[in-house]
Amino acid sequence: MSIEVTNLSFRYGDIKALEGVSFKLGEGAVGLLGPNGAGKSTLLRILLGFLAPEKGEGTVLGYDIRREQAAIRRAVGYMPEDDCFIAGMDAVTFTAYFGELSGMPRQEAMKRAHEVLFYVGLEESRYRLLDTYSAGMKQRLKMAQALVHDPKLLFLDEPTSNLDPQGRIEVLQLIEDVASHKDIQVLISSHILADIETLCASVLILNKGKLAAEGRLEDLKAIDYSLFEVKVKGEDAAFRKDLEALRCRVDETEDRLIKIYMPAGMDRMEVFRAAARTGVQIRYFVKSQTKLEDLFAQVVGVD
Amino acid sequence: MATIREKGYYHWDGRLEERRFPWWPITRTGIQLAFRKKWFKFVFAFGFSPAVVFLVLIYISERLEDFKSMFGGKERLITVNPKFFMDFLTNGFLVFIIVMVLVFAGAGLIADDLKHNSLQIYFARPLRKKDYLLGKMAVIFFFVLILTFVPALVLYVFKLVFAGSFRFVLEYPWLLLSIVGFAALMAVFFAFYTLLLSCLSKNSRYVMIIVFMIYLFSQVFYGIMQSIFRTPYMALFSIYENLLQAGAFLFAQKPPHAVPVVWSFLVLAAVCATSALVLTKKIRATEVIR
Repeated sequence: MSIEVTNLSFRYGDIKALEGVSFKLGEGAVGLLGPNGAGKSTLLRILLGFLAPEKGEGTVLGYDIRREQAAIRRAVGYMPEDDCFIAGMDAVTFTAYFGELSGMPRQEAMKRAHEVLFYVGLEESRYRLLDTYSAGMKQRLKMAQALVHDPKLLFLDEPTSNLDPQGRIEVLQLIEDVASHKDIQVLISSHILADIETLCASVLILNKGKLAAEGRLEDLKAIDYSLFEVKVKGEDAAFRKDLEALRCRVDETEDRLIKIYMPAGMDRMEVFRAAARTGVQIRYFVKSQTKLEDLFAQVVGVD
Repeated sequence: MATIREKGYYHWDGRLEERRFPWWPITRTGIQLAFRKKWFKFVFAFGFSPAVVFLVLIYISERLEDFKSMFGGKERLITVNPKFFMDFLTNGFLVFIIVMVLVFAGAGLIADDLKHNSLQIYFARPLRKKDYLLGKMAVIFFFVLILTFVPALVLYVFKLVFAGSFRFVLEYPWLLLSIVGFAALMAVFFAFYTLLLSCLSKNSRYVMIIVFMIYLFSQVFYGIMQSIFRTPYMALFSIYENLLQAGAFLFAQKPPHAVPVVWSFLVLAAVCATSALVLTKKIRATEVIR
């Protein structure tokens, strides 16, 4: 297991940021999802040893998060959410500098800095001052500094935030390449569900500091619920209420399409029975392909 | 922006080492970045001018015969003794230049990292808070010591060379220790002083002004208070006067102010302690808002 945590809790004063979070992560790219304030960044910071957990234990690549922080940081690459650079430096010096701080010999760090800057697509501007970089370039630079010491595990905090569509596609390609072909495990924290769905096979969903769902994306989408899209003729309020009484989550879109998240094991005929009971006609009934957005809405309870 | 054309990511086959001095890359980079700043080289070079003047004075003192005609045949023009070295290390111009060097080289050391959120990538490395702070402090140690200890040592060596004997060493066997002690005191004090101010703001220009103004203002404030209250204790308000007092003690000279020297040491220590406390609170990998 690359990351294993048990009963992890952390609070900022009176605010509980994480509460009893436990999970085990294996290989591959894993998405860390959750609405703002769910505790994603706090979890990453605890795993890196920036914050000491109030309760709970954990290991990253077999190193204890409380006692072996230096070993964790040597083996992990971290790409923070915020823009970070050092004024007055160029990209080669910057990347080599952080390679050296990770424990690489100076000459090796410099050589490696050139390689990773080529890899992330900054080869032409690697001698330019960082102060003049665009948002997309800074994002790639953060990726370069995270990769320079050849980490076994990469933590990416909102890697596509503040990027234009083209920049986002390019950074996603880069992450996909790292995650799928370079034998580096990636933990991506993001609130952009489409990015996670593109890149990750597994997800962790946090909500209000608690683990709301965890596992392979395919399994989560398949097992936990079935999604049906329905259109009805007639007054649908009673129909929706009836379904909710049956423990279904019911959402209605603007074009009056009703989405029914049906609990596992529930017979789909219950929808028709509910329609009969409440006097509405079902005009459209399709089992929908579940998306990460639907899963997210189901476990977090937001659209 | 270039597209991601090159997919040639290779694993690095080296081994990440646990460094004996993990702070050293921070220091080296801090020094290099200082020399890239406009005006810095000029100010730094100017910092050696007192050393040149004092070197000439040593030469004149040892070759008095050659200069007797210029100075009216006086037998003893300049005496090179511990006071001479104290005068070199505590002369107002040198201390002023050191402050100016710190304005350029020290103000942004932490302020720039705070402004550009770089602390989190520093601490995502196997780096402890003390390594980070030591790395930053060592930048200031370097500049202060290169302007104080190194020239003082050169002056000492030249004194021996020009005198052609070791009598000076035998007369003042403790002098080298005084030089080391006072240079170290200046380096430590100015490191804490500069980093304290640097960690208080994200704007390095603002910190530059503050580093300069506090030094200057402490001297002006001392002057005003002294003229009002007519007591030597007002010297404790001045950074420079406290350094003078400490210097006098370390070079076994009479202090310039009739104040127990221990008070000056306490003032300097209080600034360092405050700085250490604030730095410990302010420097963290992540902003924790409680």
